[in-house]
Parts: sequence; structure tokens; C-alpha cells
Amino acid sequence: MADPIDSALDLLRRLNPKDVKKNVDHLISLNPDLTEDLLESVDTPLAVKKCSKTKRDFLCCDYNRDGDSWRSPWSNEFEPPLDDGEGVTPSDRTRKMEVKANEAFDVYRELYFEGGISSVYLWDMDDGFAGCVLLKKSVSSSPKTTGSWDSIHVFEAQDRARTAHYKLTSTVILSLGTDSEALGGLDLSGNMVRQVEQDMAVEDDTSHVANIGKMVEDMELKMRNLLQEVYFGKAKDVVGDLRSIPPLSQTNRDRQTQREMISGISR
Amino acid sequence: MSRSAALSSFIDSTPPGELADVTKAIKSILGDDSVQNELSPAFEKYNEDQLATVKLPGGSGEVVVSAHNALGDGRYYDVESQSSFAFDHATQKASGVQSYVLESNHSDLVKSLVKSLGTHASEHYPKASLGVYPIEDDSQIAIHTVANKYSPSNYWNGRWRSSYIYNPSSGSIAGTIKVDVHYYEDGNVRLITDKKVDLKVGGSANASEVVRQIANAEKKYQEDLNKAFGSLSEGAFKQLRRQLPVTRQKVEWDKISGYRLGQDIGGGRSR
Repeated sequence: MADPIDSALDLLRRLNPKDVKKNVDHLISLNPDLTEDLLESVDTPLAVKKCSKTKRDFLCCDYNRDGDSWRSPWSNEFEPPLDDGEGVTPSDRTRKMEVKANEAFDVYRELYFEGGISSVYLWDMDDGFAGCVLLKKSVSSSPKTTGSWDSIHVFEAQDRARTAHYKLTSTVILSLGTDSEALGGLDLSGNMVRQVEQDMAVEDDTSHVANIGKMVEDMELKMRNLLQEVYFGKAKDVVGDLRSIPPLSQTNRDRQTQREMISGISR
Repeated sequence: MSRSAALSSFIDSTPPGELADVTKAIKSILGDDSVQNELSPAFEKYNEDQLATVKLPGGSGEVVVSAHNALGDGRYYDVESQSSFAFDHATQKASGVQSYVLESNHSDLVKSLVKSLGTHASEHYPKASLGVYPIEDDSQIAIHTVANKYSPSNYWNGRWRSSYIYNPSSGSIAGTIKVDVHYYEDGNVRLITDKKVDLKVGGSANASEVVRQIANAEKKYQEDLNKAFGSLSEGAFKQLRRQLPVTRQKVEWDKISGYRLGQDIGGGRSR
């Protein structure tokens, strides 16, 4: 029998992605041994918290969590404050980069999302550092259309002489829905995951922020195109494969005529 | 939530053509092969709701399993082949085929509906299964069309279902059209739609008139759905994230702090 965690991930790849959070909770109650692995490896839509010091919203994930508290990227403090001590925060050098990265991705967010929320978290590793870049935006418009985008970019940076090796895993969770009298209910939801590795030149810590910025920007461009293709191209094509608007006898006749024309030309 | 409610919700959410995969995953997660029995009620509900299709031993096409052609004890009937069969909800296989003659005051209408619906389906569904059954003490007629296309090697599966209840005395046709598409290559994307349909034919309408109304509604729905893909792509999707910034330039990351100082980033904010 397959490893239970592999089976759980396979199941989550099949069940309605809109219910991923609920389904993870079910899986944990069915097999508590999977708890840690599931929370680590399954991406769910990002929760939002307000930083009480700066009054700015920030995003929550497993990487800025300590128990039931989350570290704000704006104040470097946990919300709500931790009962026992200060919690794990990055080293001074890494925190400096984290502040710069948050400023940079705030600009990026405004340029591409024109709204929404961004948060970047970094942590120290033995041979470099790692981090995640989170972006979230929701829209709702008439008639009764809603949409949400969550991107979760997790990366590792390994320092080498004058370069760094970056490994990036990106997930975008995109959910769209409409509900109207004319069309009825429509829900188009899901997530896609992509990975990339790259070596890039590093002069100082500012280069790291720029390098990660470029990688995330390229990745999001690629993934946005992919999502466009799958959500609006592939889904529509499959519906067309299930049912044909023009009569099939007509379509088959047209194909036949086309074949005859082609063979006529080649003769 | 109880264990069986959680398991039922998994089965309920199973994409077209993936029941065996979902069942296999559940067994492995629980480390328990005997869970099959516990899942039986969920399997039955799933198969009847989803209009499961099955090839009868010795038969040619696939016939439909629904709540409307259930005979009890896991048996179902098919009008066109005039047979009944036992259906295993866990394996989705049929056995024990027997001849079955429909007894209904509407049996002529039912047979003409099967014929008209078959002609319509062959023109618009590359592969569909149909079911027409008298229900509610012969007062109404259930009309089902289900079309599946499974392409697991390309990581996608799809299903179109339409179900109507036709009342011959009032001429009302009420039903739903549901589309379910799953795409799961390096991800998991699902399209689920649900459209209510309310139609009306004259009191003495014949089968071809009923099918003509249904055909028009289904055509209209598919056209509307195609338009919806376009408007979601041009609307909500674009509002969520631009393909490029207003400046049509990628970010100059080396000068990123300059964007801040200049406050020149709010290009599209005023909208």
C-alpha cells in the first residue's frame, strides 16, 4: 500500500480545490500522524492579520507562525504577543534583508496587483537563508462575480563565492466564481505549482533582494499565462469536447470536405 | 465532523472518472481496506447523483444509473435495451442482466422521447448516455443526458449532465445542467457549474417538441458558458493581477528603492 502522506496529497489533488482547507482538517482528524506533513506541504489561501503597532495588514503562513501567534513583517513582533518569551525572529543581517524585501515587494504588489497585501518572511539557514514571498488580492464586482489570488513563493538561497544558488517553489491559488440568474452558478477554482532553480551574481545583500524579486516576477508572469491557458482555454475546450454547439454531422461533413480539398491539392 | 461524514464528503467531491483513485487513496490514508463497506452509502449516492454510466455484459452502449431507474436491491433498468441489471456501486460494474419490460401509461411517450433524445444527442454529444424513466406514480417523466470524457493520461476529465422532470399534463419541464471539469497536471483546477432550467411545452406536445426545447436550452447554456469564460478572463482575472505594470515595463529591481521615493507607482490606483 502507498505511503499515507503520498495518498493524502494525491487525494487533495483530486478533491475540489476550493475545499482544500476543510479537506486538510478532515484528513488530520482521520489520521493525526499526517498533521505536520500536511500543514507543511499543502498550501491553503492565506489568512490576513493586522499589525497592532503599524496598523498594516500582513499575511499568515506556517513560516511566520509560533503556536497561535504570527510575526508581523512590519514590526517584527508577534500578533497576538507570545506568552512565553519573544519567539523566533531572524538574525540582524537577515532581518535587514527582510525589511528591504518587504519594501521592494510592496512596490511590486502595487505595480502588478494595484491593491492587495504582500508579506515577505526570511529565516536563517546554515549555508545562507530561506524565505517566502506572499501576495494576496481579492475582488468582487457585479453581477455577483468574485475572485481571489494567493501566491506563495518559498525559496532557499545558498551563498557561494560571488554567486548564490536559488531554489524557488511557487504556488498560485486562483479562485473565480459567478452566480447570476442567466448563467446560474459557476465556480472555477484551483492551484498550480511550479519550481525553478537558478544561479545569480551577488555583490551584497541588496543583490539577494533584487535576485529574488526577478525570479518571483518571472515566475508569476509564467504562471499567470499558464493559469490563463488552463482556466479559460483548457476548461472551455473540455466543455467543447463533451458537447458540440454545431451539429456533429455538419462538423464531420466539413472535415470530410477539407480532407478532400487537401488531397485534391496534393494530387 | 464524524469519520463517516468526512469520508462521505470526499466521495461527494470526487471528480468525473476518478472514483477508483479516490477510494484507493482513502484506504491508504486509513491503512484499512475494510473501509469499503463504510463507504457504500456514499458510493450509491455519488453514482446516482452523477448519473454513473455502465456497459452491460453483452450490451453495446453505456446505460445510466440514477435514482429514477432504481428498482431496489442495487438493481436498475434501462428502457432502450429493455433490461434490468445489478450495479456494484464500489466497482461501478454491472452484472445479472435480465429482460425488463417497462409498464407505464406513458410507455409510448417514453419510447419516443428515448428516440428523439437519441437523435439530438448523436448530433451534439460525441459520446453520451441517456435515460428516460416514468416517475412519481407515472405522473412525470425524468429525462437524463450524461456525457463523459476521461483523459487521465493528459490529467483531465470532464462530465456534462442534464436532468429534467417533464410533466406531460402541465407541459412543464424543470431541470438542471451541470458541468464538472477537472485538470490536475502540476496542480488541481476544477470547474463546477450548475444552471437551473425552466421550460414549457403545450399540453399535447409530442416527444420531438419536448426534446427541441431541451436542445435549445442546452445550446443557449453552452453559448453563455463560453461567453462567461471570456468575461471572467477579461474581468475578474485582469483585476486580480496585471500581466505587466501600467508602464508596460518589468520592475527594475536594482532601482526598486527609487520607486518609493518618486511615489510613481500608483499608476492604476485611482480607478
